[in-house]
Amino acid sequence: MLGEFEQLVLLAILRVEDDAYGVTIRRAIVDESRRDVSLAAVYKTLTRLEEKGLVVARVGDPTPERGGRRKRYYALSAAGRRALRQSIEVVRRMARGLGLGLEPS
Amino acid sequence: MSCVGFAPPRVALWLLRRVVPLTEREVFVGDLLEEGQAMAIRDGNATARRWFWRESLIAVLTLRRRRVITPVPQPAGDSRMLTFLGDLRHGARLLRRAPAFTLLSVLTLALGIGATTAIFSVANPVLFQPLPYPHPDRLAIVGERDADGTMSNVGFLTYRDLARESRTVERAAAMGSWQVTLDDHGAPERATGQRVSASFFSVLGVRPALGRDFAAAEDAPSTNSVVMLSHGLWARRYGSDSTLVGHTISINGAPYLVAGVLPASYESVVAPQAEIWRVLGYDASLPYACRTCRHLQMIARLRPGVTPADAAVELSALSARLVREFPKEYPAAGAIVLSLGDATLRAARPVLWAVLGASALVLLIAAANVANLQLARSMRREEEFAIRSALGAGRGRLTAQLLAEGLLLAVIGGVAGLIAARVTLAMLVARLPATMPRLGVIALDKTALTVSATITLALGVAIGLVPAMKDGRSEVADSLRSGRRLTGGRRHLARAGLVVAEVALALMLLVGAGLLARSLVRLMSVNTGFDATHLLTLQAQATGPKYPDNNAVYLNHERILASLRQLPGVKSVAIVSQLPLGGNLDMYGVNAEDKPLANPELAPYADRYAVSPDYLRAMGIPVRRGRDLTAADNSDRAPLVAIVSAGLASRIWPGQDPLGKRIHIGGPNPPWRTVVGVAADVHQRSLDATESSQFYLPERQWQFADNVVAVVVRTANDPTSLARAVRTAVQGIDPSQPVTALATMEEVVSTSTAQRRLALMMFAAFAGVALVLAVAGIYGVLAGAVAERTREIGVRSALGATPADILRMVLLQGMRLAVAGLAIGLVGALSLGRFLRSLLYGIDAADPLTLGMVALLLAAVALAACVLPAFRALGVDPITALRSD
Repeated sequence: MLGEFEQLVLLAILRVEDDAYGVTIRRAIVDESRRDVSLAAVYKTLTRLEEKGLVVARVGDPTPERGGRRKRYYALSAAGRRALRQSIEVVRRMARGLGLGLEPS
Repeated sequence: MSCVGFAPPRVALWLLRRVVPLTEREVFVGDLLEEGQAMAIRDGNATARRWFWRESLIAVLTLRRRRVITPVPQPAGDSRMLTFLGDLRHGARLLRRAPAFTLLSVLTLALGIGATTAIFSVANPVLFQPLPYPHPDRLAIVGERDADGTMSNVGFLTYRDLARESRTVERAAAMGSWQVTLDDHGAPERATGQRVSASFFSVLGVRPALGRDFAAAEDAPSTNSVVMLSHGLWARRYGSDSTLVGHTISINGAPYLVAGVLPASYESVVAPQAEIWRVLGYDASLPYACRTCRHLQMIARLRPGVTPADAAVELSALSARLVREFPKEYPAAGAIVLSLGDATLRAARPVLWAVLGASALVLLIAAANVANLQLARSMRREEEFAIRSALGAGRGRLTAQLLAEGLLLAVIGGVAGLIAARVTLAMLVARLPATMPRLGVIALDKTALTVSATITLALGVAIGLVPAMKDGRSEVADSLRSGRRLTGGRRHLARAGLVVAEVALALMLLVGAGLLARSLVRLMSVNTGFDATHLLTLQAQATGPKYPDNNAVYLNHERILASLRQLPGVKSVAIVSQLPLGGNLDMYGVNAEDKPLANPELAPYADRYAVSPDYLRAMGIPVRRGRDLTAADNSDRAPLVAIVSAGLASRIWPGQDPLGKRIHIGGPNPPWRTVVGVAADVHQRSLDATESSQFYLPERQWQFADNVVAVVVRTANDPTSLARAVRTAVQGIDPSQPVTALATMEEVVSTSTAQRRLALMMFAAFAGVALVLAVAGIYGVLAGAVAERTREIGVRSALGATPADILRMVLLQGMRLAVAGLAIGLVGALSLGRFLRSLLYGIDAADPLTLGMVALLLAAVALAACVLPAFRALGVDPITALRSD
């Protein structure tokens, strides 16, 4: 079972697809969740997810606005997709029939 | 808005470099920069920088948890020193950045350290240093035990017998005072000296620097015109002329052989003002060498291992034998032996202990104040500590940093204090009473420096550790996470405790000052027995070959009186052998014809005043019964008369009329004289003496003429305006005789209380400082508390608290501290009061009026210190206060 923030991070990676690195992942979460999330928190979670083998990272190209620093792109591994699906599945089952207005779309 | 304008905060970048694990650093910082750039374009540079900072700090806190960076190992050896130097540099930077705090702390510390160092320097020779002779613990003063148990001087024969027969005394010497006029090598000069046995310097263990010691053969009546000079006198008056040794100088108009010159380091502890020593040269044939002629002091070097108490036992046994042999010559049996240190320094010790204690209290208050400032500052430095802690600084490192800062502060304060001590020490010594022992050796010496360095280091450690004590890591992390909400309850408690201590210490000092002030007021309002206003006094003398007999001296006196009477503004003039409160001690036993005593030595002692006519009138001493002495009493055929004081009359003839009774005074076979009057009692020795007796007689009716006398001049107006004319007139009678001690009688009275005045002055100064520091402490704590409780106060007033409620709340908080301090201080003052007791007069150390007044004063001042923060609390706007967080 994933933590809530882990779910958000994984979903954010999927959402920004090919362009998933720290800045975009954080923006996706901030935009959709309307909460101020710190980059450090995002990184902490990414590192944990990487250690669990749920995401894979690859190093990208440096850009000038980053002071010539490289990016690190993230993508979900197969295990990551499975874990995310199961986790959301659990939430959905638990919420079913409770009249929360969350019936399957 | 410039889009290239975003400059990331450099310190934050530096922090990140230090803290973010290598694996994430590049991409993390890159992300931050990219987002910061974007935010700068969208929301402006300031917002972006703020965001960048916040992100960095959060990163510092959260990313470090992974411990990817290994903690820097504690450097050893030299590098530990380097770390300490780094801490010092860092501390210096911080101090520069907070100049107000630094200045306040340094000044406070300088005050405490300076005061303590200066007072320690003054007290050190008397309280702590051994006397400057070899084996000083074996030197002792031996006296006879009087009937009332007090110590008295010895007669020559008693000294001789005790010195000869004692087995506990290795060597002994007798000494008496000697006032001389040096009359060659320049203008006549009055000098103080001692007459001493030939063995005197070898008893002390001192050898002359030049020439030789006195020879035993010189210690006889016909060969005793031999002197030893102090190094100071030899240099000052005789120009350090080494050919002087072995030649004669003129003293009191007679030639004296200079045997030697003492070393410059010789310190005359027994007679602080002595500069010249003459061989005693007594033998049993001299009339004043008798057993009852107790005008000599006996100094002894005890055998090794013998204590003064041992010697007292043996000498008391010897004394008992002498009393059996000569029952009529001793009032009582027994000997009293005091170590030289006790005998010479005892009197000065209470005042020095009291003042030293007072300065220590000031030091404690100063330390509490600075610790308080440090605590207040450390509360504002939470964030810094949090970051340093996040950087991997362990508690030890943080403590070391705080310690370095405390030491730095203390050392700066210590140096400033030493400078202050140096400056004030000279002023202080100038104000010390001249009678204080060991004045000459007071200096800011190595001991004083060691003491102040020790104090400084201890203070540094204390003020460094007080804030460090509460800086555990957990609290630090909390503080960063929870923002400014943390109030640091334990530290508030510490600050409150320090303020309570300050108030308590200030109260003790104020009580001391109050008690001393009231003592002095009471003392000065003591009826001296004479009228000190409009009275000018000076010392005149008639010594040397021009005055071969008594009559020449009397004629000199009469010429002085005649010339002064002609001065305009002079109401009356008189001459007296000793001035009340002038520091003399000239007493004789008085025997009444109708009250014979089996042992005449048991007769009451009274001060002798050989006076010119008009003395009582000039001094304003009331004649209670009978008559004053007149010029007629000085004629050759006049019957012998005396006036006794009321106290003496009631001791000898309680309830009887003394007029017409006959008495004889001193000596082996004195003539009878008739009491013709009773005068009011005067204070001779000190204002606080409880019992005194005096007798007055015409100077021509005494067996010898007094060569040195006091002249008293009652003036119509301000006596100081006549000082110059009086001096000139007296000097004009005989230019070869020095005129000294010109002063108003009020000055003489006031000088007699010099020790008390000194103690009062110091206590008042210290108490003032303590008051200011304590008030600053209360104000600081309360102002800080109000600032921190702004939100709470806002909530309270939003919930309907009236201004009066808030005022009461803040005032109560402040006054609770003050009252706690007052309560503790009162207990302290009551228990420390006994150290002051010997300096008090007519007032109890626990005097409720003084304690109450001082407590009220301090409470009022504390209340005033609370008012400003309280009104600031009133000004808190609930809306702003609530929104601010």
